[in-house]
Amino acid sequence: MSEGLEQSFVKQLRENQNIIHKICRLYTAGDDAHKDLFQEITIQLWKAFPKFRGDSKFSTWAYRVALNTAITLYRKSTKSVQTVDYEKHQFFISQEDYNYEEEERIKLMYQAVYQLNDIEKALVFMYLEDKDYTEISETLGISEVNARVKMNRIKGKLKKILNP
Amino acid sequence: MEELDLLKKDWQKNENSFEQVSEMEIYKMLHKKSSSIVKWILIISILEVLLWTGISLLFNTDDYLKEVHGEAYIEYLKFLTVFNYAVVAVFILIFYKNYKNISTITSTKQLMKDILKTRKTVQYYVWYNLGMIVFSMIMGFILAFSLNPKVHELTLNTKVFTLTILLCGAFLLLFVGLFWLFYRLIYGILLKKLYKNYHELKKIDL
Repeated sequence: MSEGLEQSFVKQLRENQNIIHKICRLYTAGDDAHKDLFQEITIQLWKAFPKFRGDSKFSTWAYRVALNTAITLYRKSTKSVQTVDYEKHQFFISQEDYNYEEEERIKLMYQAVYQLNDIEKALVFMYLEDKDYTEISETLGISEVNARVKMNRIKGKLKKILNP
Repeated sequence: MEELDLLKKDWQKNENSFEQVSEMEIYKMLHKKSSSIVKWILIISILEVLLWTGISLLFNTDDYLKEVHGEAYIEYLKFLTVFNYAVVAVFILIFYKNYKNISTITSTKQLMKDILKTRKTVQYYVWYNLGMIVFSMIMGFILAFSLNPKVHELTLNTKVFTLTILLCGAFLLLFVGLFWLFYRLIYGILLKKLYKNYHELKKIDL
């Protein structure tokens, strides 16, 4: 592949890398797994890059490939997440508006989301990213109505995890 | 859900809190090897095709037929060989087409479907080969019983004959069983996560 293509890819990936980091944060536990999945997503994005025509935003396109890699192609189990020490995981609470009670609630929420399965995580991820149901349904390949229904069920499931 | 909105706020606020990967590191990653299941399926599939084509080549029945004076059957066997090669060719073509169709740009559900389709192709090929081998063995037994005078003697004694048939059957069962177990193991490990997620997705759209 031509050098210009590689250059353009690397530049766009660096600018949009937070998308991948966010997916890694949801689907892996620990730094090593995070780096491992980040690398696999990068490889898959690069493989698919020749088919990226630029008629959609790089970020929109990257969402799909990255999610597909995490859910489908990435082979390592995400089961170990259950036993992870949540304290070690960075939850990035900024210092200025430090609010102990809110921090606790957010932490519990992250822990609850970790307990969801891969597909549920994908829906939550796109919800957190403010994606509309059209995009969610197209990305996962399910109908829009069912995506909504599923999202409501996930909310219920999260509530149950939080208040058993 | 109030909690989820709280999480969303935090999620978006901390958008830029990740340790950034440099362009240099990204360049390095591009040249690393993928460990995706598609790659593994491709590797295992190629090995399977080689293995089963090899095994079918090993079964050289021509010499055996000549030995037992079954030359009349050699013509049938030639037809079978040509047929076999045609099947292999068609299979490789379909497999290649399916493999090329796998794209990370499609929806998650479609991607999973495409991967499973690719694997199914190989599975069919393996079952075809297994069927052929069992068929050849059965034909071999029948020919041996009817043509080979030494073996034919066995049929005269009902007890011995039944025992021989039972032994042959047990051998076939064991052969297929072992193979099935081995197969389950390879793909079980490889595709467990994919199947789980695929069923999860299918459940949503019921």
